[in-house]
Amino acid sequence: MTTLSEPRAFRRIAVFGGVYSNAHALAATLADVRRREVDAVFCLGDLGGCGPHPDRVFPLLRDAGVRAIQGNYDLAVAEGHTDCGCGYTDPRDNHFAHLSYAYTLARTATENRRWMAALPGHRRLRLGGLPALLCHGSPRAISEFLWESTTPDGLVARFLDDARAQLILCTHSGIKWHRRLADGRHLVNVGVIGRPENDGTTGVWYTLLTAESGGDLDVEFVPVAYDHEMLAKEMDAEGLPPEFAETVRTGWWTTCLEVLPGRERSQGRF
Amino acid sequence: MAFRHLAALWVQITGTLCNLQCVHCINASGPREPWLPPLDAETARRHITEAAALGVKEIYFTGGEPFMHPAIMPLLAFALERAPTTVLTNGTLITDATADALVALAAAARYSLEIRVSLDDPDRERNDAIRGRGAFERALRAIVRLNARGLLPILTATETEAAPGGDRYARLRALLLEAGVRKPRVKLLPLFPVGRAQGRGGGTVTREMLAAVDPARLQCSETRAAAAGGIYVCPILSGLPEARMDGATLADTLVPNRVDHPACLVCWQTGSSCRNA
Repeated sequence: MTTLSEPRAFRRIAVFGGVYSNAHALAATLADVRRREVDAVFCLGDLGGCGPHPDRVFPLLRDAGVRAIQGNYDLAVAEGHTDCGCGYTDPRDNHFAHLSYAYTLARTATENRRWMAALPGHRRLRLGGLPALLCHGSPRAISEFLWESTTPDGLVARFLDDARAQLILCTHSGIKWHRRLADGRHLVNVGVIGRPENDGTTGVWYTLLTAESGGDLDVEFVPVAYDHEMLAKEMDAEGLPPEFAETVRTGWWTTCLEVLPGRERSQGRF
Repeated sequence: MAFRHLAALWVQITGTLCNLQCVHCINASGPREPWLPPLDAETARRHITEAAALGVKEIYFTGGEPFMHPAIMPLLAFALERAPTTVLTNGTLITDATADALVALAAAARYSLEIRVSLDDPDRERNDAIRGRGAFERALRAIVRLNARGLLPILTATETEAAPGGDRYARLRALLLEAGVRKPRVKLLPLFPVGRAQGRGGGTVTREMLAAVDPARLQCSETRAAAAGGIYVCPILSGLPEARMDGATLADTLVPNRVDHPACLVCWQTGSSCRNA
């Protein structure tokens, strides 16, 4: 996979992941970002997913100048893989994952598949004085889940050492978290904007990161409300499984629960 | 097989000492004199400390039956200070008091504590024919005890010939739901031709097969197992002389390994990992 490096340093950036074809949440996120005086906007991948009308997110991303990297879903759709690459073994999870993947693959225009195929796997930038690496799952694997309860400090340090970075940004798991190591380095899972994060609320989250030159990093998780009922109705109209729309309406994950560690699973309804 | 990174360290803490004697056990564990002795706590702590420094993602305790080790609770606490930790158990020794202690440990820990309880078949008779009389009831009771306290155990089943059925996943899930487990978690493992199941597989991984495989499909590219006698290539072959890695430290063993045991063919075929997910 390729890595793109940004030529200039930034002071403040907005970063989100996991759009999952949720054009309503994407539009609301971009509207919120426009009020925040950011230098650049980044998307850490997974543009398609469980939502309807996958082609609708691409013009929004392009028009806003969002700098994206490739997620496992984007890689799979771009190359026409047989599944999304999340690695489920639970037949129930696989059933739902296949439904959303087949729907997305069949409805993503060739032009957009080409656009995703050309996305870099990683990006490097400087935020304030901090060298940062942007990835989808983890620096070493596009489909590796980094959950707060199963990502030890020693692993974070290893990732930062290997990346020669002070900051790593990732997504993929769907729940945001921030770890500041004792030595002052950071890993931030920026969360996703495509679906709520299994806490019984319907909003989604993106992340604002600010670092003055020579100063420490400020991480702000920003809540975004959007017309989730409209999204759910569109999902119903497209014949997507009612379990997907239920998540959008209730804020509780209903499928693909196998990958959740016990601690994160215990915080959800199912 | 080239080594990629250390994702998981397995600690075979009780060696092959177990209070059950399952017909398919990968390391022929049982209650009589174990062929592989338990690991002393000091050695286990040394390996866990080194693994954490190397950036390990998860620690697993296995055996035999880990809850037969006198130092298991302090060892779990020690591991949980450094990394997410999982125990593989038959559940028979998880009393109310042990369940309470595990829940307290999990609540105080920074990282996730997972308990995997082995139960091979949703049918009581078929399960107990594999795992011994009463094993079904005691395992299910352990799952219910832990679940009632909010610690969500993972039911782990081995796909033995004696318990066939393509719908096994759904049946195990249904069993848990029926027992009142509202967030059922199930993991299936293939049968490995090693230990008491030795001879139940045919062939080995050829050089051509190895060249064609994505290294991420083989867990020996990201795992090592500590047991009495040293560091071994993976948890399936732990304790076997031919699977012992050279080296005085864990770091010494993170080098390419042989993939020539009949059990390696199962990994190659299924891409199955002994890890939780």
